[in-house]
Amino acid sequence: MIDSKAGSGTSRREILGLGVGAASLLGGLGSAHAQTRSAVPPQKPRGQVIAGISQEPTVFNPLMPGSEVDQGVWWQLFNPLWSIDPQGRLVADLATEVPSVGNGGLSADGLVWKIKLRKDVKWHDGTPFTAEDVKYTLDLINTPGFRVRNRVGHSLVKEITVVAPDEIHWRMESAYSPYLSILALTFIVPRHILEKAQDPNTAPFNSAPIGTGAFRWGERVAGDHLLLQANPTHHGEGPYLERVVFKYIPDLTMLYTQFRTGQIDYLGLSGISAHFVKEAQGLRGRKLSLSPTAFIEHIALNLEFVPFADKAVREALYLGMNKQARIEALYYGLPVPTESFLPQQSWAYDSSLPAQRHDPAKANALLDAAGWASGSDGIRQKNGVRLEFANSTTVGNPGREQSQQLLMQDWRALGVAMRINNMPGAVIWGEFWQKSKFESVMVGSNFMLGNDPDVTPRFSSKAIPAKAGSGLNTYQYQNPEIDRLLAEGASQFDQAERKATYGKIQKIIRDDLVLLPIYQTVMAEGIKDGLQGFAANINCSSNCWNMRSWFWAS
Amino acid sequence: MTDATGLIDLADTRAGSEHKSAWSRFRRHKLAMAGAATIAILVLGSFLGPYLLPFDDTHIDVMHRFAPPLSGAHVLGTDELGRDILARLMMGGRISLAIGFTAMAIAIAAGTGVGMIAGYYGGIIGSLLMRFVDAILCFPTIFLLLALAALVKPGLLSMTLLIAATSWMNVARIVEAQIRALRDQDYAVAARAMGASSFRIMWRNLLPNAVASIVVAATLNVAKAILLESYVSFLGYGIQPPNASWGNMLNNAQIYLSSAPWLAIMPGLAITLAVTSFNFVGDGLRDALDPRMEIS
Amino acid sequence: MIPFLLRRLWQSLILLAIVSMIGFAILYLAPGGPMSQFAQSAQMSQEDLDRIARQLGLDRTLPVQYWDWLLRMLSGDWGRSFRDNSPVWSVIGSHLRATFELMAVSTLIAIALGCWIGILGAIRRYSIFDMVATVGAMVALSIPTFWFGLIAIYLFSVQLGWLPAGNRQTIGDGSFLDVAHHLIAPALVLALVETAIWARFMRSAMLDVIGQDYIRTARAKGLPEQAVLRGHAMRNALLPLITLAGLQFPTLLGGALVTETVFTWPGMGRLFLDSVEYRDYPVVMGILMFSAVMVLLGSLLADMLYAVADPRIRMG
Repeated sequence: MIDSKAGSGTSRREILGLGVGAASLLGGLGSAHAQTRSAVPPQKPRGQVIAGISQEPTVFNPLMPGSEVDQGVWWQLFNPLWSIDPQGRLVADLATEVPSVGNGGLSADGLVWKIKLRKDVKWHDGTPFTAEDVKYTLDLINTPGFRVRNRVGHSLVKEITVVAPDEIHWRMESAYSPYLSILALTFIVPRHILEKAQDPNTAPFNSAPIGTGAFRWGERVAGDHLLLQANPTHHGEGPYLERVVFKYIPDLTMLYTQFRTGQIDYLGLSGISAHFVKEAQGLRGRKLSLSPTAFIEHIALNLEFVPFADKAVREALYLGMNKQARIEALYYGLPVPTESFLPQQSWAYDSSLPAQRHDPAKANALLDAAGWASGSDGIRQKNGVRLEFANSTTVGNPGREQSQQLLMQDWRALGVAMRINNMPGAVIWGEFWQKSKFESVMVGSNFMLGNDPDVTPRFSSKAIPAKAGSGLNTYQYQNPEIDRLLAEGASQFDQAERKATYGKIQKIIRDDLVLLPIYQTVMAEGIKDGLQGFAANINCSSNCWNMRSWFWAS
Repeated sequence: MTDATGLIDLADTRAGSEHKSAWSRFRRHKLAMAGAATIAILVLGSFLGPYLLPFDDTHIDVMHRFAPPLSGAHVLGTDELGRDILARLMMGGRISLAIGFTAMAIAIAAGTGVGMIAGYYGGIIGSLLMRFVDAILCFPTIFLLLALAALVKPGLLSMTLLIAATSWMNVARIVEAQIRALRDQDYAVAARAMGASSFRIMWRNLLPNAVASIVVAATLNVAKAILLESYVSFLGYGIQPPNASWGNMLNNAQIYLSSAPWLAIMPGLAITLAVTSFNFVGDGLRDALDPRMEIS
Repeated sequence: MIPFLLRRLWQSLILLAIVSMIGFAILYLAPGGPMSQFAQSAQMSQEDLDRIARQLGLDRTLPVQYWDWLLRMLSGDWGRSFRDNSPVWSVIGSHLRATFELMAVSTLIAIALGCWIGILGAIRRYSIFDMVATVGAMVALSIPTFWFGLIAIYLFSVQLGWLPAGNRQTIGDGSFLDVAHHLIAPALVLALVETAIWARFMRSAMLDVIGQDYIRTARAKGLPEQAVLRGHAMRNALLPLITLAGLQFPTLLGGALVTETVFTWPGMGRLFLDSVEYRDYPVVMGILMFSAVMVLLGSLLADMLYAVADPRIRMG
């Protein structure tokens, strides 16, 4: 399980140059791209793709709480006003253009938004899409009884007015730059359908959705698969496939086996486990796409836990961690070592952070100097506190369990005793994590808000749930300087200024070692030969974002 | 999975053999003797073996992962973290066998206690207790185990308790039936007339008659507990690293089935061997002690 | 018969009430909860989680929630799944067919194969066949089913490519042959343990009957051995099997859970596992109640069939 709290896994990369690094990482997909250029999509939708996934999509109302797997389905059924392409550019979808100060869509103070919509869009049932649907969607999100995912940004929207069927205006309560990214992940739902339901939480729509997307609802066999049919009246590109099937295969080994035996055409969303990657690269008739994701694997430390409150301990632990062995041996060199909480593809990523070294001698010296003396059993202690703690993660994750056991051995060499205390997902991510009842946790998180580097919910002192704050600062990190910088970043609209602000934030977080970063996750997805059009997109919550452009080479 | 083995004894009335001592009857049961010998070897190997090996079961050596068996110093090869498989198999045996025996002991104690009270007192207490037993038996074992396992923190103690919690009911049923049949027999009535306390009657007069059935149930329970441990591990809620158990070794190995099959084969064989042995011993004991014969 | 049935029905209802209380208590008293499913999957703050918990009614006390659940259950409303928001009975219903398909086929295999092995073993007691069958049955009872299944997939799907590595059918192809092709491996794996149980049971039932007086009488009368076995022994030995068939249900359901997991079979077992993982209380409770009802029905049916088959048994 990956902790995907920052949800939708996106990073806007408006500086095009940064996209190059990502493209070179696509490695195995180079040939696929070459073929994309030479092959031509069919005139009429043809054939089907079976996408194998390890979690079952169950939530089909795109405004309700859903996993990345659910989002992979939403991308086919619905459209946002605009979306973000693999290069990080905002591309208009239901809107005719992305609002900016330049085109008059945004007022200079960022408070007034004016959106123009396409006129040629129809819902799957034939009803035309209008500005009323957009208004309804935003209103529904802010309806008190509705089980919405969250209202970040949306709650600032006031005075929504439908100017014309293809134009909508609103005013923001305060300037909020990340809202552009949030809307890129907000799918518009049909007013004429949902309005009829007594309770939108249990509307029939939620289990047989109607959208504007390239595919429409086919059938769902619970526990097995979900079938979507081509929508021939789609307003944008495609679809070129007659059907798309999301096949649920809960076991990762079985998922890979079925990819290997050819029962599934595309293995995505959860990806191929690292230990199969080498073997998968040698499979005939299969291609592998290695694409970086926004998930940063790290050790989350509870800073209120006595030993971790001491910065020397955190530094020593970081020096004592054999990152390289972990990445090379346990993960077969797949992930990228990192020092930041932002993915390297983000425009705000700071590449000048000091690189970690594995230096047990220096770590030991640090601990000695800080007064942590070795006890009779070889475990250090200071003022009666033993340097001993538990590390937790979700049970049943072989990679993490191996990594934990290696950490145990790494840190034992420093006179630090680490225990493994793993729990089922439903236990660990409940109060244990939310209310900071852990000592340390091994977790992969996407820190960004939408695709914006605003990390206020993660590091602001007002975002500590254990201290009645609103947010996800489960580290319980408090730093007035960070608070100031976070407020500054969220109110800036100039990208260069923002990059400087978030650069400073990354430096402070790295220096304070609020968390011990391990690596940026790289996902290996499998594609059957002949399947064209796949394009990894770190800015979207799912690499299934563009299935409308997928097709089989004839 | 072996739920139904308990059923078999209901029908398994062996044609009456001549009255010899239970031990000599047991000794004639070749498979049971083989089972007993295997168990002895497994127990000795698990508890003494690790002292004879030059390898520590938790020492990680990432440079020497996946060494095949018989390819060097490691007789059975190394696992996904370069640890000696033989050492882990032995240490895993300790945990798996310990869970098996402890869970059995707890299940027997709880089952006997409940069965004895329900059988002796009967009436409302008895039927309340037995309806509770029936209700728990309504859950398929794996369902119950899973529902419980997903809710507690996995660990040695919790695993043992979980398995015990899902396997004491059959014992309670057996004991209850026996005690109920015996409580009105002459000697129990006589003991009561002489003023013996209820507990004393149960403990001294009634229980010894049920011992044969309990011993058989106990043996089969060990087998079941070892198997259940592997199931819970397979479903992801077993013993946590770095400790090894046969179940979690098997669980960790399944992803390497195609690249390093020996990782999965060794613990799988160990489990099958141990469980088969206990089942055979249980069978032999049943033949030797045939409870019905002792009662009449 | 009628009073017997009424009494059994009454007892079953009491049992079901206890079952529901135990199930409810286990689920709702445990740490964690359905909220962490949401916490994991989207960017949601503690406030959002608390709000949704309130909207689902999870902030009420346990007895209140139980009472509410019980009343709804009695009025036929099993609640809605926390995962996909559809009614629990439809969630269960949609998984039921796959499980019953698997269970029916493997039971048929097991009964046919098990009875054959058992009868032959009893007739040729202590023969090589009997010895091998006895040891084989015990090993089959002792093998971890999932391990056996994994090895079967590795051999027959990955290495040899003869059988599909799981799934119920090729998507878009629901033909009989395709379904049968997918059924072979999981049905055989699930049938392994069952066959062993039936074989052992049948063997001892046969031995039991063969030792009875009327068989000896029949033999003494000079009836041919075949006729003795077929006419007298087998018919009487089959009687206890009826009971076994009814009582085997919970074991089979448990075995199906493991087999379904290994072979990606979209049945009840799989559903249960997922629902437990996501703390989908309404569905977990629904499955527990449903399987309890099935177990009780199974044993009731066993008793009734036994009474019908053997007139000596009187119900009262």
